[in-house]
Amino acid sequence: MAHPRYLLPVFRASLLGLGMTCSSLALGTATAQEATADDAALTSAGVTRNDGESQGAAGARTAAADLAAGKDDEPHILEAPAPDSRRVYVNDPAHFAAITQQFVIDGDDGRVIGMTDGGFLPNPVVADDGSIFAQASTVFSRIARGERTDYVEVFDSKTFQPIADIELPNTPRFLVGTYPWMTSLTPDNKTLLFYQFSPAPAVGVVDLEGKKFGRMLDVPDCYHMFPTAADTFFMHCRDGSLAKVKFAAEGEPEITHTEVFHPEDEYLINHPAFSTKAGRLVWPTYTGKIYQVDLSSGDAKFMEPIEALTEEERSQDWRPGGWQQVAYHRGSDRIYLLVDQRDQWRHKTASRFVVVVDAKTGERVSKIEMGHEIDSINVSQDEKPLLYGLSTGTSTLHIYDAESGEELRSVDQLGRGPQVITTADMG
Amino acid sequence: MNSAMKARSILAALFLATTAAGGAMAQDKVSVTTEAAVAATEVPADAVVVNIDKLKYETPDLTVKVGDTVYWVNKEAMPHNVEFVKGVVNEGGLKGPMLKRDQAYAITFNEAGTFDYHCTPHPFMRGKVTVE
Repeated sequence: MAHPRYLLPVFRASLLGLGMTCSSLALGTATAQEATADDAALTSAGVTRNDGESQGAAGARTAAADLAAGKDDEPHILEAPAPDSRRVYVNDPAHFAAITQQFVIDGDDGRVIGMTDGGFLPNPVVADDGSIFAQASTVFSRIARGERTDYVEVFDSKTFQPIADIELPNTPRFLVGTYPWMTSLTPDNKTLLFYQFSPAPAVGVVDLEGKKFGRMLDVPDCYHMFPTAADTFFMHCRDGSLAKVKFAAEGEPEITHTEVFHPEDEYLINHPAFSTKAGRLVWPTYTGKIYQVDLSSGDAKFMEPIEALTEEERSQDWRPGGWQQVAYHRGSDRIYLLVDQRDQWRHKTASRFVVVVDAKTGERVSKIEMGHEIDSINVSQDEKPLLYGLSTGTSTLHIYDAESGEELRSVDQLGRGPQVITTADMG
Repeated sequence: MNSAMKARSILAALFLATTAAGGAMAQDKVSVTTEAAVAATEVPADAVVVNIDKLKYETPDLTVKVGDTVYWVNKEAMPHNVEFVKGVVNEGGLKGPMLKRDQAYAITFNEAGTFDYHCTPHPFMRGKVTVE
């Protein structure tokens, strides 16, 4: 039993709790006499909405009030608040470091509410109902060398305790810069699918409910997994088609291909947006042309491609660029795309703008100036969504009102090179 | 001695050396004729050759006789190799060296069977050798 790994989050949470309490007390002594009765009613966690007062100041004020009221300090391990649609996960692949971190953030407050540790280039997933989050990860017996172990770890969404640790035989994970759809949850959240690149294309099936590895499915020369049912997912193939893969507990998967839907010289990015609940696959090219596929029926229906950038913009070198370049909001049926003026082959550099497009008509809704070098975007899936803009360079998550584009708050110090934003579609 | 004959001699010597060392690899169903990549000009004129070009093995389904040597020759700038996963030609698997343009790599098949292989960095490139 790997007790030390299991205990780490407990220790971390405990230390964070202690650290916050101690520093709050230290700060609190200076302001204790100014504390009011209302302040004393605040909990010792003490962090309220971001209404102008910093979280640190609020924490200090609360601790001072506690001290003034003679309340004892009782360090304990915190639980994160129940997941909601404003919770956002920021994964830091840390520029290929052997160990990595994920920050769990309350997007409403801009507050880090917990963290999880990962190994080498883990793939995070979050259940849309918020019940669990998980990751496929890789560790080595001697930091970055020695025996390799690939495993899937499932976390409780409030305690952040690992509730399953499932080893993957024969180290099958694809070690690659983090592509969100290289590891996917089926819509019922009972199965995790992960991709194997070498020695042959395959998809691993992990039974999260039974907490055990299932098997590898041989698949064609196709990439990414977009699950549409407990036993069905789609992939994107080298020949420009989608493959529909239907699998059972045993036997060869049933594989059918769609028509080829894009020419060979149109390059589809590695970070498409996919809404499991809508069955909508949103896939931009290097030029900002967006292919959409409606998978909601269980079969692929190709929608009319749209251009996110105008002809004039394209003539002025406007192109998409970054890591997670596209986001899709299911409720409003809107697409968000990171864009800037750039050379054709600087498609992974940060962008300073987001264009918002009506997914149905292709009409431009707005063009948001982000005010920062943003590498990845995503949105919360509630009615009035937040737009998240992550800067890998400054390790900062900027949080915007998606409608107005106004920056509301930010969270910094998110590791060494955060790249991936994950949200749950809880509606 | 012309270069082709010289090459043949070198290849024969390598083959013998590999065969001699083969006692330690009794499970191997093949002998590696050229441990490292060699110039394509050194491939014997009458050799069985699988050319590699445009991200493909040009003869992906090849049939040979027991004892035949197969040469893979890369015809393009993108490096390629041949890799047999664990259990196909031996227990540990066999990963050939990367071949640059106009380089060759050879394996002699000592047992009958069907041996699937692929290119390590391009797993969508697949081929097989059936040995009768």
